Amino acid sequence: MTSVALRNLLARKARTLLTSLAVVLGVMMVSGTYILTDTIDQSFGNIFEQSNAGIDAVVSAKETVETDDNQESPFSADILDRVQGVEGVEAADGGIFDTQVSILDKDGEPIGGNGAPSFGASVVADRFDALSYPEGRKPAADDEVVIDKQTAGRAGYEVGDRVRVAGKEDATAYELVGVATLGDVDSFGGASIALFTLDEIRRVTRKEGEFDQISVAAAPGVSPEELTRRLDEALPASVEAQTGQEDTQAQKDDVGEFISILKTAMLIFSGVSLFVAAFLIFNTFSITVAQRTREFSMLRTIGASRRQLVRTVVFEAAAIGLLASVLGLLAGIGFAPAINALFHALEIDLPNEGSVVATRTIVLAFALGIGLTVLASLIPALRITRVPPVTGLREGAVLETPKSHRLRSALATGLTAIGAVSMLLGVFGALSPGELWIGVGAAAVFFGVALLSPRLVGPMAALVGRPLERFRGVSGRLARENAVRNPGRTASTAAALMIGLALVSFVAIFASGLSSSITAAFDKTVKADLILTNTDGFSDISAGVTGAVADVDGVEVASPTRFAQANTAGDEGGYLTLVDTDTVGSVMTLDWEEGDDAVLAGLGKTDAVIDEKWGREKGLSVGDDFKAETSSGKTLSYTVRGTFVDRADFNGDYVASDVTAAAYGEPNSLQQVLLSLEDGADTGAVRKDIDALVADRYPTVEPKDKGEFGDFISGEVNQLLGVVYALLALAVIVSLFGIVNTLALSIHERTRELGLIRAVGMSRRQVRRIIRYEAVITALIGAVLGSVLGVLFALIMSRPLADEGFALSIPVGTLIFLLILAIVAGVIAAIGPARRASRLDVLDALAYE
Amino acid sequence: MDSHLPEHIVTATDVHRHFGEGDAAVHALDGISVDFPRGCFTAIMGPSGSGKSTLMHVLAGLDRPTSGSVVVDGVEISDLDDKQLTELRRDKVGFVFQFFNLLPVLTAEENIRLPLSIAGRKADPELMAKLVDAVDLGDRLSHRPAELSGGQQQRVAVARALISQPAVVFADEPTGNLDSGTSEEVLALLRRAVDEFGQTVVMVTHDANAAAIADRVLVLVDGRIVRDAEAGSAERVHDLLKQDTVA
Ligand SMILES: Nc1ncnc2c1ncn2[C@@H]1O[C@H](COP(=O)(O)OP(=O)(O)OP(=O)(O)O)[C@@H](O)[C@H]1O
Ligand SMILES: [Mg+2]
Repeated sequence: MTSVALRNLLARKARTLLTSLAVVLGVMMVSGTYILTDTIDQSFGNIFEQSNAGIDAVVSAKETVETDDNQESPFSADILDRVQGVEGVEAADGGIFDTQVSILDKDGEPIGGNGAPSFGASVVADRFDALSYPEGRKPAADDEVVIDKQTAGRAGYEVGDRVRVAGKEDATAYELVGVATLGDVDSFGGASIALFTLDEIRRVTRKEGEFDQISVAAAPGVSPEELTRRLDEALPASVEAQTGQEDTQAQKDDVGEFISILKTAMLIFSGVSLFVAAFLIFNTFSITVAQRTREFSMLRTIGASRRQLVRTVVFEAAAIGLLASVLGLLAGIGFAPAINALFHALEIDLPNEGSVVATRTIVLAFALGIGLTVLASLIPALRITRVPPVTGLREGAVLETPKSHRLRSALATGLTAIGAVSMLLGVFGALSPGELWIGVGAAAVFFGVALLSPRLVGPMAALVGRPLERFRGVSGRLARENAVRNPGRTASTAAALMIGLALVSFVAIFASGLSSSITAAFDKTVKADLILTNTDGFSDISAGVTGAVADVDGVEVASPTRFAQANTAGDEGGYLTLVDTDTVGSVMTLDWEEGDDAVLAGLGKTDAVIDEKWGREKGLSVGDDFKAETSSGKTLSYTVRGTFVDRADFNGDYVASDVTAAAYGEPNSLQQVLLSLEDGADTGAVRKDIDALVADRYPTVEPKDKGEFGDFISGEVNQLLGVVYALLALAVIVSLFGIVNTLALSIHERTRELGLIRAVGMSRRQVRRIIRYEAVITALIGAVLGSVLGVLFALIMSRPLADEGFALSIPVGTLIFLLILAIVAGVIAAIGPARRASRLDVLDALAYE
Repeated sequence: MDSHLPEHIVTATDVHRHFGEGDAAVHALDGISVDFPRGCFTAIMGPSGSGKSTLMHVLAGLDRPTSGSVVVDGVEISDLDDKQLTELRRDKVGFVFQFFNLLPVLTAEENIRLPLSIAGRKADPELMAKLVDAVDLGDRLSHRPAELSGGQQQRVAVARALISQPAVVFADEPTGNLDSGTSEEVLALLRRAVDEFGQTVVMVTHDANAAAIADRVLVLVDGRIVRDAEAGSAERVHDLLKQDTVA
């Protein structure tokens, strides 16, 4: 019997391939995700290992606060002398490694633009230097710089050129005296790096008399562990020593965290595609089993057992799964670089050298591909057991589907309801982990609606098909009739598309709510006429900016704002805002719950106003005290002077005076300068002056007015949205294969009908039209269901945010666009099948079977 | 146009139709020349595999002859391209098959109107009324084929072939699948089409009784016409067939 299965697959090569394509895409995404993240992981590992080569121990400041920017706090240069005095130290050298130094391109714009890290470092002693210099030499004078080869290439710099670099001081031009690579790799994982003399980088980063790091080499016979122990013993508690290996591992762990987030996100999308693929496999097998009723019936009459028949179908599924796994895995190897290119286009540069295909990836690809296909084919396969011998041989016999409609509807409704409840409970944290229950709930809703949808097919096909019928006459009529002819089939085909589109519309709705909520909150609290930030929106800018722009004619006040992190009232790395109390009143306000702007302007060194939500969590109210442990290791005490509502979480847990900025490790940098202009000032002229000023001295700074800032925020949201759409697009593409497949199978089934209508005078074009409309009807059903579910999901998911001012707005334009997209998708999916249907030879078709 | 109507609606001249190549080639039609006059009911008989269906397909523009000429209502069809053939089928030819004549998703009435719907034309109400009357479906007109008996289905199929007032209706064993009672209803309908509407009908049948209702009987053997005579009674038709086997 297995040979029957194989013959079947071979005889229907095109169908087998088409069926497996859906699974191929799913497997491709999963294996591609693992290949990509493993590759990135390994490439970063290589970079870290290379850069720590020859280093036995590393001394750095003890980090009390885990900050997002991974900037280590500098420490006094005196430590180096003490390190050198430790027994067993053969050599030691200190260096600066600052994460906030930008190389400017020839137009004066920071290279890397949005968020690619850019480092500034000092030249270290040769034995600790991991860099090689394929061109030129190391910087020897304070007006010389070396940059990495990739950045040089990207910006078109050559040795001898003048290169401007911006740090905490005014941007300065240097002579490019060399380019550097890390061992044999040109890339630093997308980061750019500028190398200076120690004095110069200290000046640029305002780390006079300090080091970020000391590299140590052990004397012969002293193990790195022993060296580290001795260093820790000899050095003050503000610094700590790690072995080179530990340090490498710590760096790997840091990126590992980021990569695992990336991996999880991509696996979720892969899961969606696989889920959709399972629907299609189920559908395809349902159709083919039904179509082969006669064949099975005949086999039964000649003595095949039910079990044998079921086994044949399951075996077919396994073979398809195997094929899909192989293709999917191969495609995954190509998919990984494609995704990387997508990230690259979004200016997220990740290193990946080669392709790491781990055994785990291969095993997973096969397990998923085969497992899923077999699982999805099980129910259709079991249907064969209902094929009675002989009766199936009757002309035009079709498998009766069980008529237990009521049971099915009850089940479907129940499943949908349970799914929705599970999502709600997950969202409100009643069930944990919330994400899992939300996911399971969403899957249940999809299943429920898919089960219900055969009942919706009739009315919806009428809704969509009636206008077609009016304008296109008999083609429209036949398309509609064909769509409702087998509601279950149309429904599950549409359901596959529904899943992708539901997620797309959910994300669209949610994101538009998010960006409008943020913008609304922003409008409410920010009074400034201009906002100065780093071009990427969040990185440091020089503290010198404030004074410089305050001097510009027409500027009334320039108020510096710092967003810092501290361990706040026991929270690790909580966010907070430091403001300049003298000027803050004219540039921003808070949505006060208790207190007013006078409180803000009157904040003393130990006063803070807190986010009421955080206050509730911590049991803090006006008059209470709390402590914050800062990155410099100091513990500050605050008394609550007021509370504010901060729905978009602009200000973090609390707002305090910036007189303590140094304690937070932020004396020389800040993140925002808010400007208000004098009454009657010529806004255009002031803006021009400021633009010129920053272009000249602080090229990493970008001034924006409120409108531009709002656009910037929605731009950021949209960019993220773009990635999400791109990943969801795959699920949608998978479901398009489903439409193609179902159409192809239906056409196969209706060969004689097609022959007949051609025989009575229908033109090829009319035949194509029927198929096309059928696809459009199916796609629209999927799109309508998907949009409705998307809105529903957005409603559920935004429930807990509702009391935080999350305003759900339905982006009607986007939804209409989705419907149009569905129509286009349907038309595209129909191209192949329609062509095939129209090319059928009339006589062959009539003589068919 | 009426003034110079061709005497013959369909004319075939030395038509050959071969399947396959070389030694394995089958000469399904081996030099057929025949005319079908307007308003005449012709029955085609012959043993299985003698080429009856092939002849019908070639005459109706469903298949192309290997060589020879076929003229339908003044149009030489062997040179027509696909689009023109589609129009020919839509406007000039009606076809009734043995099985599977109707679209299951349409009602009986919609099936009857199908050729006109495809062409985007309206049915002549008078003709429609006559056909509906002749088909004698009563209130079952709005039912789907699955709910009709075989005879009813086949009468609908005949009505569908007549609705566009084609130059000629071809029917390939229209009663092959029916019992004698229901066969008679379908044959009567075809006869009525010839008598009342002046329709030209060409029908393949294995049944001498069916052939007897025609005006003329052609007998095909091995792709050639061996007998061409008036139909007369069923006995006469039997005789025609016997003579043929003797010859
Ligand atoms: N598509 C084809 N390919 C090859 N041979 C064919 C094809 N169609 C018909 N034939 C052959 O042509 C000959 C005539 O076939 P045709 O179907 O015309 O016979 P028929 O007279 O209609 O027979 P029946 O009474 O059984 O319907 C047969 O030998 C048949 O095998
Ligand atoms: Mg035949």
